[in-house]
Amino acid sequence: MRRVSFDLTGLPPSPEDITRFVNNTSESAYEEEVDRLLASVHYGEHMALDWMDLARYADTHGYTVDRYRDVSVWRDWVIASFNENRPYDEFVTWQMAGDMLPNATKEQILATTFNRLHPQNLEGGIVDEEFRSEYVSDRTNVMGQGLLGLTLACAKCHDHKYDPISQKNYYELYSFFNNVNETGQIPWDFSMPVPSLMLPTEKEEQFLAYVDSLVNTKETELEKVVQTEKQTAENWITDKKYQKINPQNKPKGLVVHYDFDRGRLYNKINPSQKGEMRTKFTRNEIPEFVKGYAGKGLKMDGDVYLDLDKLGIYRRHQAFSIGIRVFIPKDLEEGVIFHKMLGTRLHSYRGYHLNIKDNKFEILMAHVWPENAIVEETLDEVPREKWVHLTMTYDGSSKASGFKLFMDGVEMKTKIVHDNLYKDIVFNNYQDIIYDGPQEPGLKIGARWRGRGIGGAIVDDLTVYEKELTPLEVLQNSNPETLKVLSSKSPEQLSKAERDALTKYFMAQNSTSFQDKLNELKEIRSIQSDSTEKVKEVMVMKEMEEPRQAYILERGQYDALGEEVFPNTPDAVFAFSDTLPKNRLGLSKWIFDEKNPLTARVTVNRYWSKLFGTGLVKTVEDFGNQGELPSHPKLLDWLAVNFIESGWDVKALHKLMVLSATYRQSSLTTNEIKAMDPENRLLARGPALRLTGEMLRDNALLASGLLNDSIGGPSVRPYQPKGLWKINGSEYKPDSGEKLYRRSMYTIWKRSVPHPTIATFDAPDRSVCITRRQETNTPLQALVLLNDPTYIEASRVMGKNMLVFKDPNQAIENAFLRLTGRNPRKEELHLLAVLREEEYQKFKLKTTKAEGWLNTGEFRISSEDDKALVAANAVVASTIMNLDATIMKR
Amino acid sequence: MCDGHDKLRSNNKDLQEVEKQWDRRHFLTKTSLGIGAMALSSLLKTQDVLGKTTVNPNNVTVEGFLKNGLGLPHHLPKVKRIVYLFQSGGPSQLDMFDYKPKLQEMFGENLPESVRQGQRLTAMSAQQSVFPIAPTIMDFKQYGESRAWVSELLPETAKVVDDICFIKSMQTEQINHDPAITFMQTGHQLPGRPSIGSWLSYGLGSDNENLPTFITLITKGQGGQPLYSRLWGNGFLPTEHQGVQFRSGKDPVLYLSDPENYDGNDRRKMLDYLGKLNEVQHDAYGDPEIVARMKQYEMAFRMQTSVPEVTDLSDEPDYIFDMYGKESREPGTYAANCLMARKLLEKGVKFVQLYHQGWDQHIFCPGGVRNKCKQTDRGGAALLKDLKQRGMLEDTLVIWGGEFGRTVYSQGQLTKTNYGRDHHPKAFTMWMAGAGVKKGFTYGETDDFSYNVIKDPVHIHDFHATLMHLFGIDHERFTFKHQGRRFRLTDVHGHVVKDLLA
Repeated sequence: MRRVSFDLTGLPPSPEDITRFVNNTSESAYEEEVDRLLASVHYGEHMALDWMDLARYADTHGYTVDRYRDVSVWRDWVIASFNENRPYDEFVTWQMAGDMLPNATKEQILATTFNRLHPQNLEGGIVDEEFRSEYVSDRTNVMGQGLLGLTLACAKCHDHKYDPISQKNYYELYSFFNNVNETGQIPWDFSMPVPSLMLPTEKEEQFLAYVDSLVNTKETELEKVVQTEKQTAENWITDKKYQKINPQNKPKGLVVHYDFDRGRLYNKINPSQKGEMRTKFTRNEIPEFVKGYAGKGLKMDGDVYLDLDKLGIYRRHQAFSIGIRVFIPKDLEEGVIFHKMLGTRLHSYRGYHLNIKDNKFEILMAHVWPENAIVEETLDEVPREKWVHLTMTYDGSSKASGFKLFMDGVEMKTKIVHDNLYKDIVFNNYQDIIYDGPQEPGLKIGARWRGRGIGGAIVDDLTVYEKELTPLEVLQNSNPETLKVLSSKSPEQLSKAERDALTKYFMAQNSTSFQDKLNELKEIRSIQSDSTEKVKEVMVMKEMEEPRQAYILERGQYDALGEEVFPNTPDAVFAFSDTLPKNRLGLSKWIFDEKNPLTARVTVNRYWSKLFGTGLVKTVEDFGNQGELPSHPKLLDWLAVNFIESGWDVKALHKLMVLSATYRQSSLTTNEIKAMDPENRLLARGPALRLTGEMLRDNALLASGLLNDSIGGPSVRPYQPKGLWKINGSEYKPDSGEKLYRRSMYTIWKRSVPHPTIATFDAPDRSVCITRRQETNTPLQALVLLNDPTYIEASRVMGKNMLVFKDPNQAIENAFLRLTGRNPRKEELHLLAVLREEEYQKFKLKTTKAEGWLNTGEFRISSEDDKALVAANAVVASTIMNLDATIMKR
Repeated sequence: MCDGHDKLRSNNKDLQEVEKQWDRRHFLTKTSLGIGAMALSSLLKTQDVLGKTTVNPNNVTVEGFLKNGLGLPHHLPKVKRIVYLFQSGGPSQLDMFDYKPKLQEMFGENLPESVRQGQRLTAMSAQQSVFPIAPTIMDFKQYGESRAWVSELLPETAKVVDDICFIKSMQTEQINHDPAITFMQTGHQLPGRPSIGSWLSYGLGSDNENLPTFITLITKGQGGQPLYSRLWGNGFLPTEHQGVQFRSGKDPVLYLSDPENYDGNDRRKMLDYLGKLNEVQHDAYGDPEIVARMKQYEMAFRMQTSVPEVTDLSDEPDYIFDMYGKESREPGTYAANCLMARKLLEKGVKFVQLYHQGWDQHIFCPGGVRNKCKQTDRGGAALLKDLKQRGMLEDTLVIWGGEFGRTVYSQGQLTKTNYGRDHHPKAFTMWMAGAGVKKGFTYGETDDFSYNVIKDPVHIHDFHATLMHLFGIDHERFTFKHQGRRFRLTDVHGHVVKDLLA
């Protein structure tokens, strides 16, 4: 009973369960228990925990910085999937390709988080492609090891030395996973890496839908205003009022103007606002003033930038325009003209910039580049060795179409590289140990931290407007002489385009109803932005429109590109059918094709290994040449075929295995058999296995009644020795109350410092896929079971519970039964009773000795309880917890 | 050789087939070693007949030599134990050890392309428009009979250079901390492999029954690049070979202390009962695992005494504290950890590893390095002296170093008194002292820019190979099969650097 309870739910049977089973004399007694266990919600949890090892699930990113990110929503889905008994092929297919299913639901997309759980690096300075390539490799390796029992990873750098898997095969498989719009370097702050799935709560979803409709309404209203104002605009033109436009004036809404003519750095609009030449770590560099377009200009060296401090800070719902005159030298390859960001890749380009790249101008606005961003580039090339005026205007719509780039007043044609901005572009006074004080970077000109600047260029006439400039306003700002020409024309001489331009000008400058409506739109958009900002995200797979070309990487090196390869699978397993799409969906079908000799066998073998301690194939992760042969090949095949034919029914598989006579054997055996078959490969006896770290803790918590068995949700923080996370530069703050007693699988899993209560018992750090845990025996484990506050507290609670029984023997029997699943033998009972009595006398004599037993952990006994007795009981309970009878499943 | 295959274990025909195959495979696997062993023994016998002593390629006798179950050591070891003073973050060799006077004339000049040769830079400085040369502002002098160059920042180390073997030509490929430290500790840039100490523990076992074989000490309260437990982890080796971190404070080993006020005698009594109860279990089940587990409990109990004993520095004489510096009285400092390292080594701990963080001077390099040297110079030198005066330097190896070096060009602005340095993999300095290595010696040379190695490069793999060699292990033969591959610390690389050896 105990064995199957742990194996199916990870929890021990309660005394009631045991009594019921023992008293049930019918033939189907065991089967009834099994059915009950399979139907229990804890079954899903336990199977999810097993899957978490394979999926390398952790609550932190891994690598050095190892920050927390909450992907527990995915775990919840896994638990639900096992409880609902989702067929294994569907379960895996959703995780491999849920996003590619027709009309993919949120749930199906969420499943694909599986392929983003690999460690991700935020260390500033890493070579992005090196790590992006590593992530793709990891997905390939996990598929190989976890689903197919193939050590594909061996073929990354050369042909597999033993199995018929070539390096080309490896990269053909790699190419399935290569088409995600992701980066090797993920954001330094706590943003979820992209691509991501928004997970609004029901309330949030309703509200967002409502706000979206409000925005649409407002936009429609704005169009109406334009219509109604049209006549007024017409009149304004007919009345030649436009001729009064003074080209020497600047349009309304100017908030920043630098002309550098005085040889000083200050905002002409508000001279108290000064600019500073600096780099990230050096202040007050000396500006180099040279001959500018008019008067003086500022010479750039590519590293030092002009920092406008708090100016130019806009959110994505706010319209703004930036104009600048620039002289670009011919040998400048790449450089940022202006930007509002904190570094470049470090925060995934959050903010906006105008950049020179590949001899084109690039506009970028992002929350987390490259997916949650807008990127546009001009079709025309960058003009060299001459002064040009560039104006970038933005309408606050969070769409690529909201951006325009003008050169000398003429709009440049652009192509949209990416158009998917859905969260904000500011830092909200972000604080971090690497920065001095809260961060909200402002506009900076000419260079940037950890990026390329426009070295050798000269800038002049910087203007910033807190609105979207219409084309004529742009002209007025940049090339007033051209405007003069227009404004001197008579109404009849005006072309249609010029009339349109003047109409727009009228709206923006003179029409209060237009401007008011524009403001209302901005307000609504700000609410929209605020509400979207709060919505939780989780990282998922999302296929790029154009798949990324994959190559064989010579010696596995990320930048040694060899032959081009395309999605395909190793023929040695079986051929990839031409009818299958060459993507992850096709791959999933190939994995679960009934002709695939591996998937089913690998899976049933893995589940078998969890129940019996060793797989039919011992090397669960390697069905290749260097792995072992199955001990019972026909049984393995039969189980595999049975599994497929059942429709990949996992609960049925488990039921079949635990109902088998083999499983139900006693683990007691003779010395002869043990000598012949020490590892129990021939299964002449039942399995005797050590409980896992999670089971040991859950056992103690359930036995004492402390266990909080609620399902799912974000990970929690039970007791942990102080300061463990310091080496990683962070602090562990334990939870209190109920959260302390959740099932161990919910313990926050930090890759760089895994929780010792569980990790000491061979739980993996989950940086890599694990399909087979070690089972070791160390003194550190003894120390955990003896002295970990979790166990001391549980002992105390059991000690208190034992007070209910007047008869000490009954008390001990009850505790024993709860912890070990059986009644104590006479000698055991006797020993424990003597121990209890001795401890009781000792504690009565010296109550201070009981201090630690009574006060470790949050739980407190009441003042009416006999302290010495509780402590003595606790020692007994603790002793039982350390018995082989508790630690082992026999 | 054909053990067991003539005795079929089952009556089932299918299983018999499998058994035959099994044993054939076992035969094939074992034979590759078996034939080798046979060959060696016949070789030995031949030599004997000719009356010469048997030699192995390392020119040391192996006759009558105790090898353990893994066949280790392969040859006579020079080193019995090691302390590795790991400086995390990448200490700047240009400001500490690698003296480059010619740079003084090149202040602010752009690093020539001929020197850099397109070597990849980290994304932190790769976007700089210029790479101005930043000569050190530290004063260098020569010391000892060996005339070793050391900067003003390390006065204590300067006094013991005649015991030190400097390696100026260390090389790695990694330019970021995580892959670089992981590489240095495990022989591979990606996580998942065992650390050096775990390999040694697995290969050579423990010399002390009461303490872990591999212990890590981390200086308290240092900022800088984070560390993580897998750096002293066991990877795919059995968990008992992992490094155990001794923390400063009440519980050097996690959960070492019994509940408050419950003392060793109480615990002993409880363990006695536990033992008796487990005996009853053992009588019923006859599982040797029960006995094995009890042994772990006993070891845990012994650790409850032996660990506080060894971590308690209070009974060290005053002159020792003076030698290590007054900081050594404060638990958790580098100096205190150096002192504790000596005690652990005395007790037979095979591998003690210190970590000192904060060497990552991207900006404000001179001030930063000065500070770090102040924290570590005296302790490290004192450890050397201490081991020497106890005669332990004869069979203990001391290693000092980080995961990579720093650039000759300035990261960020360069002034006459200040500069930053980015990560630099192609050349950096480490030193070794003690058993088996030359004393008062400098191995390897870098170019005038401390950028490229021009003589006797030592790659990390070579360093690992040499380390193994000093312990009597042939790095190519010491492997562990995992996922179908025979892994080793040196991956598929590495040569023993013979010219370093005494």
